[in-house]
Amino acid sequence: MTKRRMFIRMITASLLRRRSRMLIALLSIGIGATILAGMVTIYYDVPRQMRAQMRSYGANMLVMPGDGETLDSEKLARVLTQLPGDALVGAAPYRYVRLDMTSRQQSFTTAGTDFSQVVKTSPYFSVEGRYPDSGREVLVGKEIAETIGVKVGSDMELTWQPATVRTSGDATEDRVPGATLIGAAEGWSSGTVTVTAVLDDEAKIKTLNIDASTQTAEFGGRTQTEPEFAQQFIGKSLPITIGEDVDALSGATITSNAVVEALNGAHSATDAAKPNTVRYTVTGILTTGGEEEGYVFMSLEDMETLTGEDKLDVAELSVSAEEEQLNACAEAITQSGEGVKARLVKRVTKSETAVLGKLQALVFLVTVVVLLLTMICVSTTMMAVVSERRREIGLRKALGASDGSIRVEFLGEGVFLGILGGVLGAILGFVFAQVVSVNVFNSSITFQPLLLPVTVLVSVVIAAVSCLMPIKRAVAIDPALVLKGE
Amino acid sequence: MALLELKNVSKIYGELKALDNVSLHVDKGEWVAIMGPSGSGKSTMMNIIGCMDKPTKGEVLLDGVDISKESSKRLTDIRRDKIGLIFQQFHMVNYLTAVENVMVSQYYHSMPDEEEALEALGRVGLRERARHLPSQLSGGEQQRVCVARALINHPELILADEPTGNLDEANENIVLDLFRQLHREGTTLIVVTHDPEVAEAAQRTIVLEHGRVAREVVNENFVE
Repeated sequence: MTKRRMFIRMITASLLRRRSRMLIALLSIGIGATILAGMVTIYYDVPRQMRAQMRSYGANMLVMPGDGETLDSEKLARVLTQLPGDALVGAAPYRYVRLDMTSRQQSFTTAGTDFSQVVKTSPYFSVEGRYPDSGREVLVGKEIAETIGVKVGSDMELTWQPATVRTSGDATEDRVPGATLIGAAEGWSSGTVTVTAVLDDEAKIKTLNIDASTQTAEFGGRTQTEPEFAQQFIGKSLPITIGEDVDALSGATITSNAVVEALNGAHSATDAAKPNTVRYTVTGILTTGGEEEGYVFMSLEDMETLTGEDKLDVAELSVSAEEEQLNACAEAITQSGEGVKARLVKRVTKSETAVLGKLQALVFLVTVVVLLLTMICVSTTMMAVVSERRREIGLRKALGASDGSIRVEFLGEGVFLGILGGVLGAILGFVFAQVVSVNVFNSSITFQPLLLPVTVLVSVVIAAVSCLMPIKRAVAIDPALVLKGE
Repeated sequence: MALLELKNVSKIYGELKALDNVSLHVDKGEWVAIMGPSGSGKSTMMNIIGCMDKPTKGEVLLDGVDISKESSKRLTDIRRDKIGLIFQQFHMVNYLTAVENVMVSQYYHSMPDEEEALEALGRVGLRERARHLPSQLSGGEQQRVCVARALINHPELILADEPTGNLDEANENIVLDLFRQLHREGTTLIVVTHDPEVAEAAQRTIVLEHGRVAREVVNENFVE
């Protein structure tokens, strides 16, 4: 038998056959290692968990069309590919329009969105009833519901006024006096005739401007220069029939026809975008505690049916990432060449980073304190072990053990305890972290293979350091004590 | 030829002279008993001979080496190489089996050899009980294990401190028989005792009183 085998036999026998005392030391190292492994797991896993939790405070990134650009669903989908795959919690597109409820003489800001995404980006939305689907259903903010007295199951009729009908009026006012029609048609010898007509509240022509500068001044040009011609159109409804509603200017028949054609053409173009009224069923009342309570929500599909446009004003993104990474993502989206810009919702991002930082500092502190306590506990236990084994140590020295042998033997026991406690702790620590994670964060964590060697190593170091004082005391024991009774 | 020689050895603790100018001569292969009442200086002498203490004055030659001036590290080496110790209270490592206890002595001396350790246990009649823990052995059996442990490294000198003090008569006889065997094989034995029967088994008895050698008695009835 080699010396090493005897050494191992001695220290394992010491640990296995002297159970009670060593069990305490093992337990303290095991518990220390458990806390360590658990805390390390939580330390690294919690930010991930917390970020997901933090996302419940709402979107932390906004994607908007760039200057002079537009945003639509397809473009948004392309933009989202710029984000790392698992970081995106949700992306809710929004289109905001003002809809009129003529029966109540009210108008509301109405948002078209994707409710399956809203659930992710705005988890704090509280809906009485249910979210609408695309079958002519709306979700009404609590404030509006109270004002107009609608309940889940009520119907409401909403009217959309095309944007072109509003352009001539003051955009900030809800009641638009009239629409501007701009049209063009081919006149004499391929010259273009342009008309600009302003309609009154009854959609009758209020003013008419004719640009016939491409036409011969003595003939067609006179449609512009002689106001009597334009005057005939005032107070008339579109479409105009020449010869009935108005008379052609003699000697300028072709240009006169072009003017009417341009007007009618402009009219039929806006016809597609004429005011549209749809009856919706209220499926839910929304409570958020915020400004959303003053909005009406419907699906993007319904919004598109109502307005005839696939267009987005903004997308609210909930991205699970650190502030730095978020900044990088926003930059990547802005630089993606899609004509969109992204910015962070600073308030949410900042507080998230601060809370996580504090939490990690706390976990770190607790771990250090626990490790110190473990060290004290192991040291005390080993100290007791040394006094308990004074006679044995004296005997070993009397039998010829050098101070070095005594040191190595006790350190060996310490390291052995450290390994056992470390393995025990790594396993229990993972279970501990798992339980914490499931109970506090409602999600499980994955085992980090690196955790085992790290925990064992730290445990061994702690056990060895804890043994230093006891070893010093052991070495000082006088072998003569074994002679004559003590 | 002298294995051990004490020349005018004194050990002084403050006012107390534990050993007072003691001289002693033990030949190789000799069996010597040291007797004396408590406080006569037996333990002090035992510690000095066992390389666990140093005299205040005088020379101690063990196998020609003066051990009175050596460092404690050197003393540990000398003790390990030359001396086998047997104690009144047996002193076994309580979590190791009988054979492992014997092997501990080999471990510090040179190489653990389980076969050899088992043989040594066989010699003291305990081969069958080699795998027992000290708590499973009687006092006599434990002391026999200690004899096996003391002789395993073939020491020049076996130093026994009241080896039969805690034993009944039957076990005392077994241990004394083992000493006789060792003596026949040429091992030098120094046995500290206050039991006249144990002292009579030796060739020569030295009686200490107040730190001095009071008298020396040669055992006329010694049987080889």
